[in-house]
Amino acid sequence: MKNFQIIRALSSKSAVSSIAKENSAMFIAGGTNLVDLMKKNVVAPDKLIDINGVDLKKIEFLTGKVSIGALAKNSQVAEDKVIKEKYPLLALALAAGASQQIRHMASVGGNMLQRTRCSYFYNTDMPCNKRVPKSGCGAIGGSNRMHAIFGASDSCIAVHPSDMCIALAALEATVLVEGPKGKREIKFTDFHRLPGNTPEKDNTLLEKEIITSIEIPTNNFTKNIHYLKVRDRSSYAFALVSVAVGLDIQNNTIQDARLAMGGVAHKPWRLTEAEEFLKGKTVSEATFKKAADLAMKGARSYGDNDFKLTLGPNAITEALTIAASK
Amino acid sequence: MAAKRTIRNKAIEEESGSSRRDFIKKSGLLTALALAPPSLVMASENKWDEKIAEYLETVPLSLEVNGVKHTLNIEPRTTLLDLLREQLLLTGTKKGCDHGQCGACTVHVNGTRILSCLSLASMQQNAQVTTIEGLSQGKKLHPMQEAFIKNDGFQCGYCTPGQIMSGIACIKEGHANSREEIREYMSGNICRCGAYHNIVDAITEVKEGGKAL
Amino acid sequence: MSKTSNINRVDGFAKVTGSATYSAEYKTPGITYACLVGSTIAKGTIKSIDTKKAEWAPGVLAVITHLNVDKPAGYEQPKKRENLGQPLQIFKDNTVRYYDQPIALVIADTFERMQYAASLIKAEYLKEEHSTELEKVKDKGKLPGGERAKDYNRGILDGYKNAEVVLEEEYTIPTEVHNPMELANIIAKWDGNKPILYTKSQGVEGTRKSVGNVFGIPAEDVEVHSEYLGGAFGMGLHTWPYEIAALIGSKKIGKPVKLVLHREQMFTNVGFRPYTIQKMGLGATKDGKLTGLTHEALAMTSNYEDFTEATVNMSRFMYDCANVSTKYRIAELDTCTPIWMRGPGEATGSFALESAIDELAHKLDLDPIEFRKRNHAEKDLEQNKPWSSKYLLECYEGGMERIGWKNRKNKPGSVREGEWLVGYGMGTGTFGSFRNPTTVKAKFLANGSLVLQCSVNDMGPGTATMMTAIGAEITGIPTENVIIEMGRSGLPKGPTQGGSATTSSVGSAVHDTCNLLVSKTLGLATENETFKNIPITDLSFANGAISSKKDTKKSVSLVSLLNNNKLEELSVENESKGSEEAKKYSIYSFSVHFVKVLVNPNLGKIRIAHVVSCADIGTVINQKTSAGQMYGGAVGGIGMGLMESLEIDHRFGRAINNNFADYHVPVNADIEKQEVFFVNKKDPISNPMGTKGLGETALVGMAPAIANAVFNATGKRVRDLPITLDKILEPSVAKA
Repeated sequence: MKNFQIIRALSSKSAVSSIAKENSAMFIAGGTNLVDLMKKNVVAPDKLIDINGVDLKKIEFLTGKVSIGALAKNSQVAEDKVIKEKYPLLALALAAGASQQIRHMASVGGNMLQRTRCSYFYNTDMPCNKRVPKSGCGAIGGSNRMHAIFGASDSCIAVHPSDMCIALAALEATVLVEGPKGKREIKFTDFHRLPGNTPEKDNTLLEKEIITSIEIPTNNFTKNIHYLKVRDRSSYAFALVSVAVGLDIQNNTIQDARLAMGGVAHKPWRLTEAEEFLKGKTVSEATFKKAADLAMKGARSYGDNDFKLTLGPNAITEALTIAASK
Repeated sequence: MAAKRTIRNKAIEEESGSSRRDFIKKSGLLTALALAPPSLVMASENKWDEKIAEYLETVPLSLEVNGVKHTLNIEPRTTLLDLLREQLLLTGTKKGCDHGQCGACTVHVNGTRILSCLSLASMQQNAQVTTIEGLSQGKKLHPMQEAFIKNDGFQCGYCTPGQIMSGIACIKEGHANSREEIREYMSGNICRCGAYHNIVDAITEVKEGGKAL
Repeated sequence: MSKTSNINRVDGFAKVTGSATYSAEYKTPGITYACLVGSTIAKGTIKSIDTKKAEWAPGVLAVITHLNVDKPAGYEQPKKRENLGQPLQIFKDNTVRYYDQPIALVIADTFERMQYAASLIKAEYLKEEHSTELEKVKDKGKLPGGERAKDYNRGILDGYKNAEVVLEEEYTIPTEVHNPMELANIIAKWDGNKPILYTKSQGVEGTRKSVGNVFGIPAEDVEVHSEYLGGAFGMGLHTWPYEIAALIGSKKIGKPVKLVLHREQMFTNVGFRPYTIQKMGLGATKDGKLTGLTHEALAMTSNYEDFTEATVNMSRFMYDCANVSTKYRIAELDTCTPIWMRGPGEATGSFALESAIDELAHKLDLDPIEFRKRNHAEKDLEQNKPWSSKYLLECYEGGMERIGWKNRKNKPGSVREGEWLVGYGMGTGTFGSFRNPTTVKAKFLANGSLVLQCSVNDMGPGTATMMTAIGAEITGIPTENVIIEMGRSGLPKGPTQGGSATTSSVGSAVHDTCNLLVSKTLGLATENETFKNIPITDLSFANGAISSKKDTKKSVSLVSLLNNNKLEELSVENESKGSEEAKKYSIYSFSVHFVKVLVNPNLGKIRIAHVVSCADIGTVINQKTSAGQMYGGAVGGIGMGLMESLEIDHRFGRAINNNFADYHVPVNADIEKQEVFFVNKKDPISNPMGTKGLGETALVGMAPAIANAVFNATGKRVRDLPITLDKILEPSVAKA
């Protein structure tokens, strides 16, 4: 690892102003992904701005929403009593990610910014358009078991690896950011992006902007919810496919539905068409299967990940069934 | 060649303007050195530049490990794991993968279990670190250590310090209420000898024993 | 149950307190840090290598490549390639033989500076076409040297083809990697011309020999310490290039060098279980008598060294069958040389054999255990010898009862628990029980303790604990007063730890030597005033004292006996080896793993709900450590069965999942309920304690047990490991 300078920022404003002066500086919070990437020489910043001293760790329950500080730890959110009661889908998704040690270290903001786990991205002797633009995509025609079936491009078929973000996409969260030009809000589903011709960009955060918090509106998805994570072992593995489900069921009729998938795209993949279809329907396996089929429209596989075309709809049906039966 | 080196690595509390200026002055000095005439290059070959580099590339760090205070100068890139193993010679904490994928390096920082391989030591200012060496008092073992011996919760012993640190935290966090829950919350600690059954036995026994941990 | 049959590990305290010292952890003044830089092509030559930036980086002490290396004297020796005779000679020339082959060694004063400097090294290559895919060289198999690799035939060649019921199938296992938790590591230094290694070796004496060969010096001049190993599972059976590189580096800079491989390099540079393709042909009568069995295997080796293992050999003797043929071939690929991995050969072979037996039983509509019982081998038909002991049937019974075999239905998919499909499966394992010559020194100290010395090491099975138990049993010295000195050169020569032979070899030597020590002590006692005129045969040694059998009041403690004779210690050094009598028998351990799986076919999810591992390993010296090995073997088998596979991107010849996030090994949540059952009956032939081996057979048979259980649950037969979810996934069908 290249040596670097480390600066401790004590407010989001000063963090932004510190980074504004630098060409090759990065924020560091939990470090669970960044330190790893630095060890692998995937990134090599000259300067790190340690933002752990910034007061962004609070979880606040406000009228009509909850605000979660960007530096709140994954385990802190997952085990918060009120989050578990009012936003159980988020708690479930968080608990499904990584290991408890990593959840204790990783921040909410850092979780959103984690890079793909694609092996070609991580191994610097391999081609990867995300790491080195125009160097080619190793995963296309290579080892792509983990890779995307939605929204990929000829440049990149990597997937976003987070579990938390899948729940946040389903719960229609908002991302609050601060940058040299001030503060702004980004719809969670607009935060991550598809690769297109510029896979080096994971998200729509502008240069030198910092995430300060996320907000989730109050909702009725407290009972019939589920986060289903399918992976190659029972724990401590990234999702091959995951499904976040929130249903609002009254008298066996689905009033409202939220569905998002992980492990299938460069961003949390919201299934709006399936959601619309479910609204107003009676709970039944046939309905869920139909929704799953709708959700898979446009899916495309790359060889090793062909199975996701079968696993995807099955996982959706399964997650909906479990959620409805709660 | 000295010019190639990035020698500007002093952690600075940004509020402290004076140290920032100090820093700039020093980087200036180094740039001058890099552009200097042959006599100074000779100095570089005599490793004078390295000595300067060493000074400038380190940051001060105070932390407490197993109750012992350490005041150190370290490179910002040093991980907590390498600091423990290579500088403080506390080799009980193990390096199994160095990438946060195995749990062998688990230690407690301010009472929370974390992975020391993904923690920069330079970010642990004033932290209280507990490693496996800090659990026992002489011959008197921590209840979890005793339970691991009694239940044979290991074979080669290499993942064991991490398992024990994780096991203690697992109970303290309230995640040891069933064998199933223990298995899930201990899944961040890989044991290649496959002692999982006995590890769960050990943690269950300590949890049911109800001793203060 | 003897007093010592359930003692805790004697090294437990050291291991739970972090005070056990593994190789790279020796506190060494003036230590320097080294790492290896690997090639980024799979085959070709190094055209140029730019080391300047690294050399000039802060703290760098040396960068060594093929261009500036002082070649060890042994590099000049001509080499034979068969049977691991020619390890890769690191930095010998500019040839690249596999991806990530070490091309440079970087040494610096700190770990961080060394790591950074290594990242600055860049090489250019002349690439040649590489070959890393066994499926593409199926026709290039060659017959390796060695007696056990030869073609075998009993009865009619391919006799299975004439049977009433015939099964022909192909089974594949991918490359699997040992991946002990401790990274391969070494501290290397020199005392003049004598190398000193603190390294991860399963055989101190073997490492001395190999290092001696490389540097052209006698093995006796090589000092090796390998006192604690953080697992190895076979990885430590070879002396690897990284160890030689560290020695070369240390010699060059005149300082001790610490070299720890990265986890990534553990996948590419220190061996693995080889990718193997197997063909099975089985024939039986309609009522379930096996009449023919043909087993053929093609395994990979490297392009510079022949690696072989006993993949097909188990098929020669496992079942009572008149016509048996086996063939074993190896083909070269551009990779590092494989090395035996836990249950070597047999683990691979049993996947094919025990899957095929299950398939044939299904074809015959027979319970797979009933089918096995009908073909139970009463003697070893390969060697035409009687078994020294065989309690395989007891293993079947013990396992059936514990797993609830009666709930199993022959028809796949017919048992459910809620939404889950339930499947039961089993697989039989075996492994030869060997005994190697071993020297142990046993001594009584004047303070009444017993010291046992042997250069054997303990990679985790509990060798020291076993030695303590046997020594304490024979001498009556309490276990807490037994001191074990092991795992380094300079001690009486012990065997390599491998092939499940340690207890049989070292345990027997402890047994014999301690008996000799007791006799010597009694002999000394006859000269004592108290025992005047009492023949030695009337003396006994117990509880740390010598007594007259006839008049127990006449007693002298060991401590006073030594003190009276002004002796600081009383010792015996003795070599112990197998008997001629034992050669008349076939000595094997047997194991049977029973598995209950729960399967959700819509998600492809397989839960290992219950495992019962049964074994006939002769006498169980220590229930606790033996059970630990058995649990661990089963977990290793879960890895083999469900998740482990080294993926190569053949376009580059490069390992792609070379880390613990992408190469999955089982975690705690992967196994729900585990039990172990030992028959625990003494083998009358194997050795004085009546033990047989355990470590290898603990894994053998587990992977097919899982495959068989998955078939029983789903009707899907997976013949290529691992059984990942995509292989059993079913499109979901809405219920009517």
